Amino acid sequence: MIKRQQQFNRALLLLALVALAFIGLGFRLVDLQVWRHDELAAAAEKNSEEKFWQPARRGDILDANGNLLATSVPVETVWANPLLIGNQQAAIARALAPILRVNETDLYQKLFPRVWKNQKGESVTNRYVVLQRKVAEETWQKIRSAMSNLPLAANESEMSKTARANFKVFSRNLRQYAVAAEPDQLRVYPNGALAAHVLGFVGTQETTNHAAELFGYDGIEKSFNSKLSGASGWRVTGVDSRNRELVALRDEDVQAHDGLSVVLTIDSVVQHIVETVLADAMKEHSPVSITGIVTRPRTGEILALASLPNFDPNNLSTINTNTEPDRVISDVMEPGSTFKTIVISGALNEHVVDLNDTVFCENGVFHYGGIILHDAEHDHFGNLTVEQVLQKSSNIGAAKIGIKLQAHKLYDYMTDFGLGEFTGIPLPNEVSAKNFVRPPNKWGKYSIAQIPMGQGVAVTRLQMIMAVGAIANGGVLMRPMLVKRLQNRDGNVVQQYEPQAVRRVISETTAKEMVEALKTVVTKDGTAPMAAMENYTVAGKTGTAQKVVDGKYASDKFVISFIGFFPADDPQICISIVMDAPKEGGRAFGGALCGPVFKKIADGCASYLNIPPDENLPQPNSPPTIVAARESH
Amino acid sequence: MSKNRKSQSAAIRFGPALAALFACLTIAGAAVGYVWQKSEIYQLGRQIRDQENRLAQLQGDDKKLAEQLAILHSPVMLDRRARELKLGLSPAQPMQVVRLAEPLATPPENKNLTRQLARRPDEMAQ
Repeated sequence: MIKRQQQFNRALLLLALVALAFIGLGFRLVDLQVWRHDELAAAAEKNSEEKFWQPARRGDILDANGNLLATSVPVETVWANPLLIGNQQAAIARALAPILRVNETDLYQKLFPRVWKNQKGESVTNRYVVLQRKVAEETWQKIRSAMSNLPLAANESEMSKTARANFKVFSRNLRQYAVAAEPDQLRVYPNGALAAHVLGFVGTQETTNHAAELFGYDGIEKSFNSKLSGASGWRVTGVDSRNRELVALRDEDVQAHDGLSVVLTIDSVVQHIVETVLADAMKEHSPVSITGIVTRPRTGEILALASLPNFDPNNLSTINTNTEPDRVISDVMEPGSTFKTIVISGALNEHVVDLNDTVFCENGVFHYGGIILHDAEHDHFGNLTVEQVLQKSSNIGAAKIGIKLQAHKLYDYMTDFGLGEFTGIPLPNEVSAKNFVRPPNKWGKYSIAQIPMGQGVAVTRLQMIMAVGAIANGGVLMRPMLVKRLQNRDGNVVQQYEPQAVRRVISETTAKEMVEALKTVVTKDGTAPMAAMENYTVAGKTGTAQKVVDGKYASDKFVISFIGFFPADDPQICISIVMDAPKEGGRAFGGALCGPVFKKIADGCASYLNIPPDENLPQPNSPPTIVAARESH
Repeated sequence: MSKNRKSQSAAIRFGPALAALFACLTIAGAAVGYVWQKSEIYQLGRQIRDQENRLAQLQGDDKKLAEQLAILHSPVMLDRRARELKLGLSPAQPMQVVRLAEPLATPPENKNLTRQLARRPDEMAQ
């Protein structure tokens, strides 16, 4: 009986122990599966899931004919995980420094783990250090090969069995995972410095996901950065023990949206013609800078926009304070005599004068408002017609026409021609020069005589060519057009830009009269005979303005210019050339220096763009030797 | 009164045996199918990943080739090469170019003209 009781007690004890064990297990189960579910699920997910970023490819920049001006090629960002490197920093630095072309000591220093305290006060060790960005695919393959065959400084024969096994795991992880790469892109400008000021350049901005994103810092790269950038995608997916993606376990798969491509109105051949001719002129006359703009006056399209000295956006070390600014839109200058086109257009449009009216030019010396105005050094004009005032660029004649027009009317025409306001070109850093185109109530007592000759007023080069372009365009001011369209990767048009007329400034009749007057400027009696072309009638205006240095007009520093268009009666192309302080100093005149530059560019453009020559010009007797091209309608 | 075991038939009852066998085969087949399916999913996943990598690689190569092509097409490069090779190239002068006016397309006056001309003379005679 007692024995049975003992057996029962033992069984009960055993049962209690088993029950206790089950209760313990059950408690643990509830603890893991219910109470700590979220925390552990997240930890499990972190161990088996990985988020891969898919960077968007930055869009291209193309010229009007679809030629690449800027593109992005895939490269790698090489990084290392210092936690997997152990004490092998020297071996890795020795192997990789020659491939990456970096200093071995610098690389060695980078490979050590860094420890810091996070916001919670916990010690954190870095697992990601960038060794080099923009590494070519071929270089990355060399790095992989070098890492796979990395000689490690350790004597395995002296290790215990366990230590040897651990070392094997360590060396496998080191060789395979310690140095890795992630996709990146390199911005490439295949034409080098061509149109550098239009294109701008990019830099790198680090994003939250370690990826370095290209960001436009100037030019079209900056102003269209949001369109060019696109949107990154990502993929959350299960990974295997080697961190390789398991496609079947993809949770999220958001495709990257590549950036849009920007198609410019710039024609790379015209741009090259302009830059080549400007470079020759730069060598010959050594100005501080020289700029050239080519537009289509009817549409406002900019075919070329060049500013020298320039830089190579592939090599950012060529960018400095001398090369960076796009003088065409950010540099404000006194226009000099090119401004007479504005004054005389206004006066003709208001019927204040007629082209054949006579103006007495005071034999070269004119006292007005307490100052003395002069014509150019050797010019002592008496009576000139209004047309001759333009042809010979008489300051006194222009001043008298300006006085006749009156201050408020002159100011209205200045603003109507777009001076003192943003042109609307889609480039950053454009200035309006509003402070330099002041209303009449802020003028001095002689401003009405001074401004018509292009002094006491300042404009940008782009404003001035658009104003002259308005005359060529029958009196309608156009908005400068630099971007034709945005298109996606497959070439489908996403957004189309059309030419925009800003306003009619002068009547068509006045514009025609102005063209007739401007034609005389390039004759042998005008100021720019060297700008005349053999097969086309040219209309244009020279400008020679004294530079303001330390608040005073310098006697030996001039900004000289020529703005012209051709064929004069059916204008296809308008060209502006501006030289800042050429070495000729006081002997520098717009017609003499900028005229030939204009002619060279115009000849090149006419040939390339197949512009039909003027039929009313005398034809050479030589027979045609080349048969090409259809008539352009 | 129940039958003596000795008097029971010694014949195997195939019905239940077949049912058991079928059940076993079904379970085993399902298990094998499941493993096979998982294996296929893994294999296909790997193929998809490899193909995606290949696609990315090809797209990258395409971009590099496009860049090289752009460099070769670059007017700067072409100009430099033309000068280096001393080909004596220069732009055609406007007077060296003969321009042919595009003839305007005029509709035929009689639409049946072509058909009439295409007729055989003997048909015309009829």
